[in-house]
Amino acid sequence: MRVKTSFLALAFFFMIPAILYAQQHTETTYFDDQIKKMSDPYKDEFAFAKAQSFFLQKEWDSTLVYTTQQLSTPSNTKELEDFCHFFRGYSFKQKKIFKEAKEEFSVISKDFSFYKHTQLNLGTIALEQNEYKKALDYFKKIENYSPSELQGIEKNNIEENIGLCYMYLGEFDQAETYLKKTIQFQEQKKDTISLIGTYGNIANLYYEQYKDELAIPFFQKAYDLSKKVKDVELKTTTALNMAVVEENRKKYPLSLTYRKEYEQWKDSLNDQNKIYEVAQLEKQFAVKQKQKEVSLLQAENEIKVAERNGLLYSSIVLLILLGTGIYFYKEKIKSNKIIVAQKETLDELNATKDKLFSIVSHDLRSSVHALKTSHTTLIDTVAAKDLKKIDTVLHTNSAIVNGAYNLLDNLLNWALLQTKQSYFEIAEMRLYFIVEQVAHNYQALMLEKQIYFENKVSKSDKVFADQESIKIILRNLIDNAIKFSNTDGKIKIYTQHKDLSYCDLIVEDTGMGMKDSTRVELLKDSVLLSKKENEDIIGTGLGMQLCKSMIKKNHGKFSIESELGKGTKMIVSLSKTSPNGYN
Amino acid sequence: MDTINVLIIEDTPSESDALVKVLKAHHYSILGVATNFKDALELFYSTKPDIVIVDIFLNGSPDGIYFAETINIVPNAVKPFVFLTSSTDRQIFERAKLTQPFSYLLKPFNELEILYAMEMAIEKFYAQTDVFLGDEEDTVISDDYLFIKKGKALKKVNLDEIIYIEVEEKYCNIITEKEKFVILISLTKMLKLLDEQMFCRTHRNYIVNTEKIQEIIPADNLIILSGNHKVTLSDTYKNIIKKVRTLK
Repeated sequence: MRVKTSFLALAFFFMIPAILYAQQHTETTYFDDQIKKMSDPYKDEFAFAKAQSFFLQKEWDSTLVYTTQQLSTPSNTKELEDFCHFFRGYSFKQKKIFKEAKEEFSVISKDFSFYKHTQLNLGTIALEQNEYKKALDYFKKIENYSPSELQGIEKNNIEENIGLCYMYLGEFDQAETYLKKTIQFQEQKKDTISLIGTYGNIANLYYEQYKDELAIPFFQKAYDLSKKVKDVELKTTTALNMAVVEENRKKYPLSLTYRKEYEQWKDSLNDQNKIYEVAQLEKQFAVKQKQKEVSLLQAENEIKVAERNGLLYSSIVLLILLGTGIYFYKEKIKSNKIIVAQKETLDELNATKDKLFSIVSHDLRSSVHALKTSHTTLIDTVAAKDLKKIDTVLHTNSAIVNGAYNLLDNLLNWALLQTKQSYFEIAEMRLYFIVEQVAHNYQALMLEKQIYFENKVSKSDKVFADQESIKIILRNLIDNAIKFSNTDGKIKIYTQHKDLSYCDLIVEDTGMGMKDSTRVELLKDSVLLSKKENEDIIGTGLGMQLCKSMIKKNHGKFSIESELGKGTKMIVSLSKTSPNGYN
Repeated sequence: MDTINVLIIEDTPSESDALVKVLKAHHYSILGVATNFKDALELFYSTKPDIVIVDIFLNGSPDGIYFAETINIVPNAVKPFVFLTSSTDRQIFERAKLTQPFSYLLKPFNELEILYAMEMAIEKFYAQTDVFLGDEEDTVISDDYLFIKKGKALKKVNLDEIIYIEVEEKYCNIITEKEKFVILISLTKMLKLLDEQMFCRTHRNYIVNTEKIQEIIPADNLIILSGNHKVTLSDTYKNIIKKVRTLK
């Protein structure tokens, strides 16, 4: 009995591949064509078309994914849904997920064209799960259809399954009928591999019923047939079966032979496994080797990349350094240029200043010298008590001192202006009074030269300027006017309003006037009259310079109108509005 | 009319002498010449000048500014002043400028400049600018005096001495106990600046010093003032009667 159980176990493993095998080989092509034909109308559905093609390619996972997609779209016809469920059930079954497969199959409606296939599949699933009764029900339902109705399902396949079900349910008579039918069919078809399985099954069936004399020929047949095929597993099983059977018949030597054969096949199977394992190992080794090479290459690559990056970074850094270097070099050149320009201006200014110095000191020296000689004469005259002469000399002296004083005053104001130490406040003031006050100092001088002076400025003329600087400007202009006027000349100071925002203060004389070139020269910036055309009356040019600077500082304008031999107009335009915007 | 009293603070005798000479020539009264800070303060508080001329540098230090700062502390005692200086040093000027009102004169100066500077100082001090410089007016009114420009110089009249003022277009006749003269000022400005308690309008053309009223004869529309001056009292201004102190 103990031996029989082990034998039974063998036979059981033997059967299931037979079922699957039969299904795969006999059905596929026809079944695939059928599926294709029936489901083609739904090709427009993208997900379904995908699912179908994957199904035909036996890509079960992808089929599952796309059918899920198709099922989730809302507008599916009943048949489309059935197709999807069928694909899913089939795929689950192939993946041995029987529970899901069963669920999928069970929702398919009876009208579905592949309903018989559904039944068959449900039956096989039940068989797989040892629910023989259920399986038998499913198979019986489709047993009596004609081959054309079965859509490619081999009838004999169904019959074999029914036979198996009966066998497991212990209804051996029924099982025998079905299995014999199967054998007949398979012998006709010469399907050796299936035949071996079925022989084994029927032998098993008889052996269960202790009909040994019936069982043994089938075992023998299976064994003989197995020799013709290359399937080592089949050979092993049949040999083992023979060994067990002979052992039970107490034919030990024969049994031993079979056992040995079995061992041999098993070994070869093992060898195959071993070879396979070795191959696997070799493959692994090769893979490892390759991996190593790959990692080596990768490392090399990395090094190369690192090198390249390093090169890149260093070149960038170098470029930046170069750029900054160039920038600073350019800056240096620029600043050098500025410095050189400044130096030139400074040199020029210094030269001007030196010239000014020499002219001023020359003038002062001549003034003092004149005074000195004059004093010598004065002492002599005092000794002679010539009062009239003394008076003349004193007047000359006073004129000399006056000139020298004006020069010194201008020099001081110039220095103050240059160093910006002076107090400067632009405020509203009335020009009339300023002119009066300044002209007051020159009354004696003008009287002496018999010059007629007129202040025609209106009392209401107001300008925004710094009082002290306006006084300095006026002093110089009046001084010049007197200087360049002849005896019996006329000096007139008046205002003009040509511009809305400016008041023109004009000092007009009837003196000797000037050439146009001199006029232009006078209006130029920072040019001192170096060449003395007239030793007696043309001064340093410092006064004019001071006037221009002061007018500029007061936001005013300066212009000269002159005609040689007729007279000069000195025009100072001063702002009538406050530079700060208030009044 | 009285002369203006001037206090001079100047340490250089030759300069102060020249200044005194110029001012006297234009009929200003010189109250004294102080040569240092202490004397200056003493003289200032004892003589009550109308205007002070201050040299910024006294013996080498800017005591003139100290003086101005000191008299500025007591608001009621302040008088107009003019700074004198020989340099336009910016820092000194910035400091001097803080002692408002600020008027200054740069040495050397001629007589016109000093007279002008003094007029400016008085104008600025009583906040009535453009009076002496323009053609429209010639009088600055303070709490106690009228400062009037006469020719090149200034004169003053004590307000207490005025009996009444008669307006004639843009001129005003000022009648005092001693004399009668014409000044150039608008009536509106006059009314605004004079003390309302003391001077009241009695007629479109008359302003009367209430202290000088001797008799009011409403029936004849007449007011008799001291010195027997008679002034018309028009109906519009009759409520003057309430203001005048009457014997009970």
